[in-house]
Amino acid sequence: MDRLQILCFAGTYGLALAVELARLFVRSELRWHLGVGLTFLGWCVQTLYLANIAWSGRTPLPVTSAFESVMVLSWVVALIGLYLMVQWPRKVAVGFFTLPLVLGLILGAAWFVPRAAEGRDWEGATAFWGTVHGIFLLAGAVCASLAFAAGLMYLAQMRRLKSKQTRNFGFSLPSLEQSERVNRGAIVAAFPLLTAGLLIGALLSAVELRKGGGGPHAGVPWYDPKVLSAFGMWLVFAGLLHARFRPSMRGRTVMMLTIAAFAFLVFTWVGVEALRLPTAHGAPRTAGGPP
Amino acid sequence: MRLLALGVDHRSAPATVREALAFGDDRLGAGLHALRDAFPGNEFVVLSTCNRVEVYAAGPAGDIPGVDALTAFLADFHGLNPETIAGHLVGYHDEAVVGHLFRVAASLESLVLGEGQILGQVREAYRAAVDRQGAGPVFHTVFQNALRVGKLVREKTGMDQGKLSVASVAVDLAREVFDTFADKTVLVIGAGKMGDLTLQHLKNLSPGRILIVNRNPERAQAAAEKWRGEPVPFDRLNQALIEADLVISTTAAAEPVVNYDQYVRVQRARRNRLALILDIAIPRDFDPRIGDLDQVTLYHVDDLRAQAEQNLSRRRKGVDPALLIIERETAACYAAVRQQQDAGALLRQLGDRADQIRRRELDHLFQNLPQLSDADREAIAHMAARLQNQFLHHPRAAVRSAAAEAAAAPEAPHPILSAVRHLFGLADPPAPSSLKKIT
Repeated sequence: MDRLQILCFAGTYGLALAVELARLFVRSELRWHLGVGLTFLGWCVQTLYLANIAWSGRTPLPVTSAFESVMVLSWVVALIGLYLMVQWPRKVAVGFFTLPLVLGLILGAAWFVPRAAEGRDWEGATAFWGTVHGIFLLAGAVCASLAFAAGLMYLAQMRRLKSKQTRNFGFSLPSLEQSERVNRGAIVAAFPLLTAGLLIGALLSAVELRKGGGGPHAGVPWYDPKVLSAFGMWLVFAGLLHARFRPSMRGRTVMMLTIAAFAFLVFTWVGVEALRLPTAHGAPRTAGGPP
Repeated sequence: MRLLALGVDHRSAPATVREALAFGDDRLGAGLHALRDAFPGNEFVVLSTCNRVEVYAAGPAGDIPGVDALTAFLADFHGLNPETIAGHLVGYHDEAVVGHLFRVAASLESLVLGEGQILGQVREAYRAAVDRQGAGPVFHTVFQNALRVGKLVREKTGMDQGKLSVASVAVDLAREVFDTFADKTVLVIGAGKMGDLTLQHLKNLSPGRILIVNRNPERAQAAAEKWRGEPVPFDRLNQALIEADLVISTTAAAEPVVNYDQYVRVQRARRNRLALILDIAIPRDFDPRIGDLDQVTLYHVDDLRAQAEQNLSRRRKGVDPALLIIERETAACYAAVRQQQDAGALLRQLGDRADQIRRRELDHLFQNLPQLSDADREAIAHMAARLQNQFLHHPRAAVRSAAAEAAAAPEAPHPILSAVRHLFGLADPPAPSSLKKIT
């Protein structure tokens, strides 16, 4: 039933993507309106789905599990994509880049990420800081997604300009300067947000470890795959931020690094659970659970 | 109802003839008034651009001016010899007028295929005619459809996509690299004609600074004055390259002016900012390997020409689909005009027939009752007129409404129109006139 609900809005986004792809062959105002309309419809259905999760849970924001966080992330990215589709001139193919990202996040979360909550048993200050941890990471992930989409647009535009091909029929991209600016701003915003989210998570885990006990209150040791991959991700983002401000690495290098950093972020967030690696993050409710 | 279009364009007449026949802004109003005075009861629109001068006329079959009359009018209005212009004039009749106007609005008849200006010029011509009561119901329908079809063709075929001149391709390129130009510096190296033309186009983007480098300081100074830029001595070229975001190079040097290693150092000093280099010189001023550098987009004049040619060939590919659209829309528009005209004629026939019957019956009554006073006669006539109007009110409303529906779907005659004709015993409308192009 849950997957059927997800299929409803994922299918609508899929149709919107098909309409967006049709821009290569069909030039019509109607196509643009249909694309925006379908994206908006998918976003509304997803909003209802998330509202239902929030209503049935304890927290107003459904970010208590990797699944919920990715769903909210895709929802925010879809909203930003929709805003850009309406704001930018109609011929700019924003949906070409944002809709596959939204679809990938939704389908990846629905099929590979366990649904169980990671802190529903927490109470008081721990529950509060757990939510703050989730919100910071989510905000960081939104910025990283934007940087990723802008990076892809930059690379596609640069490739076209270098190959000296004329613009495809009905398909244009933002200028290099515009993509670079969005990428830079998103990276600069993502790094402190991710750092704060990870720091709060680490402190929370240290407090739980000091308290001792077992089960969900045991805390997450430093050698946990989730912690190690999170640290790795932080290093990649730190490197990306450094590269962002190194003139010699501007352009293609930064964009490639952005893509790698985004892949690392996705792995850290959902890869550990999806691969069923033994992790105490959210244990023992993760689908695989410790072996 | 007949339609006629008569005029000259860039194919049928040299510039001197087009100029002689042109209706400039100052003479357009006078021309429209003179046309209406010379041929009352007709509708007129005058389309006058650099590449064409055309008079569009619509009116009843007996009143519309013929080709000879309109030729004589044009010659008289412009003070020319009719024989001088007659050989250059091209005319279209009836449905061919609609098709021709649609092709003009879609820029298929333009000197530069797919150019965007003509649609605005058609709109202006129509607006001028409306302001001076030159356009009536026929041209409202035809010209409003022409504007719609012009947009539709561009939308469906991409006819207006991509620029066709090297200079405008360069401007498009600049827009694909940069977002804003107020904070950008344009550097012009050399002072070639092509560079001048490109800079003229780039000036429209309002760049923040323009630097001019030339081996000849006087030439640099002159160009700087012309473009409101800053002259830079040639030995400070590297510094200028560091400051510049967009470079136009157009020197006549036999060897590259900027080599690869030199530009690598420049790009490092520029902190690897985005750069667009338009090398318009032959032979090249910039080493082609510079284009491989990250953040640098280097286009040679051949690349710009190739893009312009690709754009032209893409536009040409749009001609056949555009003609199909125009053919379909022409038939629909002309049928809609005819439906409107038929409905108008039917209303007139209906009114005439009712008037005829009323007058006959009144005459008959007044002959039989000679004792009636003038006041009585007037009252009875008034009552008969009111009766006639009240009886005809609903049939007239039904015909108007059917005409509006028929204009939206003009493939077949509306059954209400046929029914009214049949019920009131009115004659059928005249058969549609055949199409013909006259030259």
